[in-house]
Amino acid sequence: MMELIRDGFVIAGKDLRKEWKTKETISVMLIFSALVVLVFSFAFDPANQTVKTVIPGLVWLITIFSALLGLNRSFASELENGCLNGLRAAPIDPASIYIGKVIANFVLVLFVQMVSIPVLFILFDYRFAGSLLWFLATVFLGTYGLIIIGTFLAALAVNAQNSEMLLPVLLLPLLSPLMIGAVQASAAFAGGENMESAMSWIQLMAGYDLLFTAVCLLLFEYILEDS
Amino acid sequence: MKLKSQIIDWTLFYILVAAVPVMMYFIFIWSPVERVLGPAQKIFYFHVGCAWVAFLAFFVVGVYSVFNLIKPKMNHFIYAGVSAEIGVLFTTVTLLTGMVWGRISWNVWWSWEPRLVTTLILWFIYVAYLFIRKMDGRWEKIARLSGVFGIIGCLNVPIVFMATRWWNSKLHPVVFGEGKNETGGGLEPEMLFTLIFSVVTITILYLFLMRKGAEIEKMRTRVKQAKNKLLQKWAN
Amino acid sequence: MNFLFFACTVTWLLIAAYVVVLGKRQKQLQAEIKQLEEWNSEQ
Repeated sequence: MMELIRDGFVIAGKDLRKEWKTKETISVMLIFSALVVLVFSFAFDPANQTVKTVIPGLVWLITIFSALLGLNRSFASELENGCLNGLRAAPIDPASIYIGKVIANFVLVLFVQMVSIPVLFILFDYRFAGSLLWFLATVFLGTYGLIIIGTFLAALAVNAQNSEMLLPVLLLPLLSPLMIGAVQASAAFAGGENMESAMSWIQLMAGYDLLFTAVCLLLFEYILEDS
Repeated sequence: MKLKSQIIDWTLFYILVAAVPVMMYFIFIWSPVERVLGPAQKIFYFHVGCAWVAFLAFFVVGVYSVFNLIKPKMNHFIYAGVSAEIGVLFTTVTLLTGMVWGRISWNVWWSWEPRLVTTLILWFIYVAYLFIRKMDGRWEKIARLSGVFGIIGCLNVPIVFMATRWWNSKLHPVVFGEGKNETGGGLEPEMLFTLIFSVVTITILYLFLMRKGAEIEKMRTRVKQAKNKLLQKWAN
Repeated sequence: MNFLFFACTVTWLLIAAYVVVLGKRQKQLQAEIKQLEEWNSEQ
């Protein structure tokens, strides 16, 4: 078990070092999330008071859209020069490749959120009224679930010719229960209302995360198997 | 072997030919008219039957997906795919009749009712599953990938239902309580019989479509084999 | 009452459409098999 996680960290380190050198994915993700915020300001008038209630939900739209960009790259970039075959042939458990990719994607998306969420709140002049700690916990749980399923499905979709188009179609329906919970809980924690009902949403999200972590770890070797 | 499966096919077909008119008679004429909603309540029989088959089809996809991961077999692969296709059909019917139902009883076409939302997401998962099966590659690979997705999709359905239920109960605490059929609880025996009859008939329809679809998919593999043989012959 | 007929028609139309699609597929595949077997058997 320890070995699994250690190998995972090695792979994550490789991915993150490569990203640090080129900065090709992270820069696009950041610019894209800023653009999404800009488009929101056209769609929802920032001066309108009723818009304030949907801002915590917009956090998740930004996260999903920018994460999709990163997830698409995470396995597609391994196709060059047959790197994916190299990973398959390496004397490690397939699950550790998955763990590594999850860690790398998670770090990337968290970094994008660290920039885009404050930008969103500032641009829309959102006054935070609830519990910051619980809000961050919600963001963490929701993003973790998104990355767990997203990395898994990215590995699945990379087998197709049109993997960039396939991934959102596969990911979004599976993500819907998590996103319902995340939007509800983050709205409650940011607005400081209905905190008790938000706790049950947190529980649902934690359950979802645990279930799919286990299932994805178990099933990942079937996806990676060469044929 | 071939004769036996043909006999089953024809038996199913004749049962359907007999049962569908009887079902229509039961639904339209024999079953009593509901007091509150009037004759429109009879949509309920189609709706429940199709919804049941839609969920059954999804369950079948999940079961064959597990089989496929344990031991890949052409038959498992075919049955899972055909079941998903029929599932999309019946889920669409369920959604449409559900919308009509919502229009009658709540005066809106789409009411974000938990079961309706769950069915909609189920529909999307089915379609995504069919997209995976459209990938090109060897069938063993597609069987594995689609099997993995089928299992995850199946696990997801109860969670979606729970989430939508909580979500909705907060927004509309009283309007949509338990039992979307206002007949819930006090179902009259004639209604119950009609309901069971239509569910059974639609399930037989599912079985029939399933066998037909599997037959067609098997023909497709035969075409592939014949093509390969021909190519070899020409190469020589 | 109109709604009932509407729902009923939609249901059966969709199922009938699916059956027609299946029949078309079958016919096409049958023709293909026949053609291929012909080519296979001739020398």
